[in-house]
Amino acid sequence: MIWTGNPKIRSLARFFEARWFLSIVLVGVFLWSLTGVDWNGSIVHSGGGSSFKDFSLGLFPPELSPGFMKLAIIASWQTVVHAVAGMTLAVIIGLPLGVVASGSLGNPSRSRLAIAVVVRFVLAFMRSIHELVWAVLFVAAFGLSSLAAVMAIAVPYAGMLGRIYSEVLNDVPEGPLDGLRSAGGSSFSVLVYGRMPMAITDMLSYSFYRFECAIRAAAIMSFVGIRGLGFEIQLSLNDLLFGEVWTLLFFLFGLVLLVDYWSTRVRRSLDS
Amino acid sequence: MRLTNDIAGQESNCSNAEAPLVDGRGIGKSFGTLMALAPLDISIGAGERVALAGPSGSGKSTLLYLLAGLVPPDRGELILDSQPVAGLQPGKELSEAVGLIQQQLDLVPQLPVIQNVLAGRLGQWGILRSLASLFSARERKSVEVVLSRLGVADKIDEPTSHLSGGEQQRVAIARLMIQAPKVLLADEPVSSLDPARAEEILRLLTGLVADTGGAMVASLHSPDLIREHFTRVIGLRHGILQFDIPARELTPTVLEALYDLDREPED
Repeated sequence: MIWTGNPKIRSLARFFEARWFLSIVLVGVFLWSLTGVDWNGSIVHSGGGSSFKDFSLGLFPPELSPGFMKLAIIASWQTVVHAVAGMTLAVIIGLPLGVVASGSLGNPSRSRLAIAVVVRFVLAFMRSIHELVWAVLFVAAFGLSSLAAVMAIAVPYAGMLGRIYSEVLNDVPEGPLDGLRSAGGSSFSVLVYGRMPMAITDMLSYSFYRFECAIRAAAIMSFVGIRGLGFEIQLSLNDLLFGEVWTLLFFLFGLVLLVDYWSTRVRRSLDS
Repeated sequence: MRLTNDIAGQESNCSNAEAPLVDGRGIGKSFGTLMALAPLDISIGAGERVALAGPSGSGKSTLLYLLAGLVPPDRGELILDSQPVAGLQPGKELSEAVGLIQQQLDLVPQLPVIQNVLAGRLGQWGILRSLASLFSARERKSVEVVLSRLGVADKIDEPTSHLSGGEQQRVAIARLMIQAPKVLLADEPVSSLDPARAEEILRLLTGLVADTGGAMVASLHSPDLIREHFTRVIGLRHGILQFDIPARELTPTVLEALYDLDREPED
């Protein structure tokens, strides 16, 4: 609520941010949602038991033939490429937007604040639309190509990264920043010598978390027909080949573990 | 109340002819309804070492921040080195005129020592140079010289957060030496140090002032250190000036009255 100087608006904002008020609203929404469930209909699908059994049996053993492993590796590679390219683009777009949205560049002024607010709205718009919806739009624009998958990840993720970057950059302690200012640092040098070094660990760990999400997102791009792990999972599911589904799920799990391991390594090297 | 530059006349005769380095006329600052610093006149000449004394919340830090140009005064006019502070170019000219050592928090813990020291050059460097130096440090030689004078040359490439409190204090001083401002400001530079280290830090600061021919203003509480290392002492209480006397006239009675908890604010 930093842009509301008016004390009336501020006290109103405080009222809506009060813990008891939020708690009552959340409990109310939950109770109201219960009325939406059809309690008399079949909540549990009656044929689900046998499907679940078939699915579980597919695990013994999963499909491990060389031909299928090759297909799974290619599909994983496609998914990783989409996620990496989408994420790279998201950082390239999100970082400058986040810096502007944090309002830490330039001299304090009304226009700077106005630009920051506008950029915050742009970021909010980018991330308020789900990556699958973006995928539909970009497939319409670019066809069933990798470019559509990459853009569908890059746009909403840039919105999320920009928002988090701007918050993290603003949350650093003021003391060292004042030190840099008194040494003659401009807002740009305060950013690169103070805010960035102090925020970089948090920014990186959030980016890696988002990278994990990007891998899952790239995998499910199959719903709009883009190739990758999710595409193969869907094909195998349609053919009821549960052994293949398990193999592909393990590949997806392996990718997420790999990212997790990598991010731990990077963060540890930064912390020491 | 008019503070005059009488100490310079008594203790050194080099500065009376020149204009004072710091010339504050009726400068004051309020935060909301709180009067952090009542308007006061303050004039400091070259070679002077001024101690600020007073209980917590008496306005010492506010005065230092005003003098550093980090906080604009609500009223009055501040002239640094013959130029109104509002007219000084924020980065370059201001950093040549004044530099501040804050209470402990002034270094970026994640940066290596050399970068924290080189931050003293940020006022002189443009955007590209600052950015380039972050990746490949410029002027390593001069940093080495300064750090070895302070006895921490071996720490030059270590992350600043790995250093002890006393070592970080030296890095902060090294930054100021690289910045080389005319007026050196220090907010409680020795509050967290043992007596031996406090002595040493004050000796280093005094030496730095002697080198640059500038002046120093520092807040601290110890009457012994004030008498030994400063030429003049200003007492503040509830944001109001209490006294401005030569440091050697600081008696226990004067100091007790300044820190007396039972006294009511005068206004």
